Amino acid sequence: MSEAFLTIEDVEMHFGGLHALDGVSFEVERGSVTGLIGPNGSGKTTLMNCVSGVCKPTRGSVRFHGRRIADVPTYAVCRLGIARTFQVVKPFANLTVRENVAVGAMYGRNGRERGARASFERAQELCEIVGLSHLAGRLASELTVPGRKRLELAKALALDPEVLLLDEVMAGLNATEVDEALRLLRTVNEGGVTLIVVEHLMKAIASISTTIVVLAEGKKIAQGAPAEVLASPQVIEAYLGSRYAARQRQSPP
Amino acid sequence: MLFWQDLVNGILVGGIFAVVALGFSLVWGIMNIINLAHGAFIMMGAYTAYVLFATWHVDPFLSIPIGFVLLYAFGYCIQRFVINYVVRAPLLTTFLLTFGLSLLIVNVALLIFHGDTKGITTSYSGANFSIGAVTVGWTKLWTLLVALAITAIMHVWLSSSRTGRAIRAMALDIDAAQLTGVRVSHLYAVVFGLGAGLAGAAGVLISLSYSLQPSMGDPFVITAFVCCVLGGLGTVQGALVGGLVYGVLESFGAQYIGTGLQDAVALVVLLLVLIVRPRGILGKVTA
Amino acid sequence: MGGITGNATALRVTVGILVLLAFVPLLHNGYYENLGRSVLMFATLSLGWNLIGGYTGYVSFGNVAFFGLGAYTSAALWQHWHQQSLLVAVLCAIVVGVVFAAVLGLPILRLRGHYFAIATLGMALALQEIVANIDWLGAGAGYAVRPLDAYSSYYVAMWIVCAGSMLATYLIARSKLGYAFVAIRENEEAAAVLGVDPTRYKVIAWAIGAAMAAAAGAVFAGANGFIDPPTAFATDSNVFPIVMALLGGVGTVAGPLIGAIILTAINESLWSRFPQIHTLFFGAVIVLVVVFLPRGLLWLLDTRGGWRAVAATLGAYRV
Repeated sequence: MSEAFLTIEDVEMHFGGLHALDGVSFEVERGSVTGLIGPNGSGKTTLMNCVSGVCKPTRGSVRFHGRRIADVPTYAVCRLGIARTFQVVKPFANLTVRENVAVGAMYGRNGRERGARASFERAQELCEIVGLSHLAGRLASELTVPGRKRLELAKALALDPEVLLLDEVMAGLNATEVDEALRLLRTVNEGGVTLIVVEHLMKAIASISTTIVVLAEGKKIAQGAPAEVLASPQVIEAYLGSRYAARQRQSPP
Repeated sequence: MLFWQDLVNGILVGGIFAVVALGFSLVWGIMNIINLAHGAFIMMGAYTAYVLFATWHVDPFLSIPIGFVLLYAFGYCIQRFVINYVVRAPLLTTFLLTFGLSLLIVNVALLIFHGDTKGITTSYSGANFSIGAVTVGWTKLWTLLVALAITAIMHVWLSSSRTGRAIRAMALDIDAAQLTGVRVSHLYAVVFGLGAGLAGAAGVLISLSYSLQPSMGDPFVITAFVCCVLGGLGTVQGALVGGLVYGVLESFGAQYIGTGLQDAVALVVLLLVLIVRPRGILGKVTA
Repeated sequence: MGGITGNATALRVTVGILVLLAFVPLLHNGYYENLGRSVLMFATLSLGWNLIGGYTGYVSFGNVAFFGLGAYTSAALWQHWHQQSLLVAVLCAIVVGVVFAAVLGLPILRLRGHYFAIATLGMALALQEIVANIDWLGAGAGYAVRPLDAYSSYYVAMWIVCAGSMLATYLIARSKLGYAFVAIRENEEAAAVLGVDPTRYKVIAWAIGAAMAAAAGAVFAGANGFIDPPTAFATDSNVFPIVMALLGGVGTVAGPLIGAIILTAINESLWSRFPQIHTLFFGAVIVLVVVFLPRGLLWLLDTRGGWRAVAATLGAYRV
């Protein structure tokens, strides 16, 4: 029997009177790609914050290899093997792209074994992987939004994670850029990294995920293979409202 | 009973602290500038009262509005024509700028008035009355009442006048305010002018009970800061509560720890508040 | 482009100047020696401030506290234990500085921005008051410190302290440690997510800076022959180093020394020409530097787009 990889167990998150998360549970399998979807305000980012150790759940726990993430301080989470990207990307503006990534290589999971030079070499490799090698010497403040998203991904990869949380990494990208991003993510996943992807682009999520988890109003309302989840009437109702769902049922397209 | 005397002394001086803190809090809360020249403005107010008293025998209480107006104009100009160039710059820049200004102002005062101590002695300076074992100086009592009046006037003005409300809107979101036609550079100058004017008024009040020297205002910067942190930044009530509480704390501190250690007491109070309850007594929790 | 040491040419030039400064004692001129020693002392203080203020982004307004502690350590060693050796004094001062920085740093470094700045200012003022109340340390009257046989020994000692501080800053800026500091400055939360423990590295930055300041203080106490609270915790020693770092370039290796040289030169010429109002002019200098060069001379050299880019950034600072 294999030990549980990543378990989200009855996680609740209360901010004063607001229940951002109301008892969410599911398991993440090693090597999988879990898509996390739901309408705005459903608690996706809060859940990501709980899994990455930025917030402590009011109740319940997130366990990675059996260890509770909430017990670990923020700067030590990456050493467990969990990395994430942020929705609002703010790189280290006065450092170059390469230096930005190098910080992750220096202080991430395998950082202790790397000196400064080795960290910069690793950073250069990662810049090539995400397609930023031609900009590696430029200041991060000079990057466009898609460039910054790639940088964000490279920084997260520099931590040598086992689990990578991606928070709306494809927002603001055009169709070509989305395809490139998907290819990149598939490569990362094939390299052995488990992914949890929060996205609004249904096609993108459907094409890359092995499982999809749907949140609405802080609760999990569906979980399963992409095809069945996305066709589920419950999910459609959560996104588009009960009147639309009722009209769909009355006169299917 | 020393306790009651200390308490009364603390409240009396706390009123002055409240006015000192109010001007500082306005500039900090609305413009996000820590004005290290605030002490210099206080000193200018005190010397205004001194000059008016020494030359034309103007009673210091009458100098309060004069000091306020003069310092308001001075502060308005300084903001509009100097500080405005770096008002959105990082902390280090504004810090050093106001420090440099403070150096300038204090040294001009040194040139004009020299380093010797001066004082204002009016006909009623020593008069006091007693309630039981507690002695209260008349000057200090009136100072407290005037300080409370100033605080009340500012509170009313900020909440109901048009300019006051524009200022509060600007504090919430400067870009939105600019979009609705608020002339931000003018309002910033108004706010800084008010801060200076209040400092000037505080300076006049201080000159009634304390001696004057060009460097007299410098300790008040730390005092103002601690009062704002203690009472809660951004509100008139916060400055008032912070001033009164800190006045009492300092009074007891002088009694039981010794008069030479004010700054040490201030630092301890500051650190305790920031660690235990960073928003202060009346402050709101910000996200 | 890259690296956080600052413009390479400027660095080489500055190191050259530092080497030249080592030969000042050969001039056998007391005035130049005093001046040079002052430059080296302020440069060291500025380098110490630069680590926590420039590289880590925590603007401290109280680093003079460590300078004063170093001065008093040296003085106390002489007064109470007749400790002759300057080396021992400097080493002990460093230990005292580091310990105080670590202990005070734990509560104070939790604060940010304005709160941190004023708390450090309060720390320096409080320390001055406390020392003035301790008789064992000479209280308000202060006391005399050892003389050394060769007067120039103090110059050499200060040079070694300054050179050592500059070397330390250089090594840090080229190592992982330097990048931890800068990451904290740029975005403390993002740095934590990347594995940098903010508290630990902030304390390290402050402690190393404190060591530099304390070492300078220990040498200063001996050279001055006498210290008391106002001398050891002077406002000048607190603020000038910051302005020097700002002028030369915050967050660079060469900036502090360049700023120290320029500002000392300005200060000296003002002092000799306008003895009455030189502090006034200095206030004006500070205002001008801050308004027109908010990130220092080296920043001017390194900015792509030259003067126009600089003007654009300055434009963003106004309302």
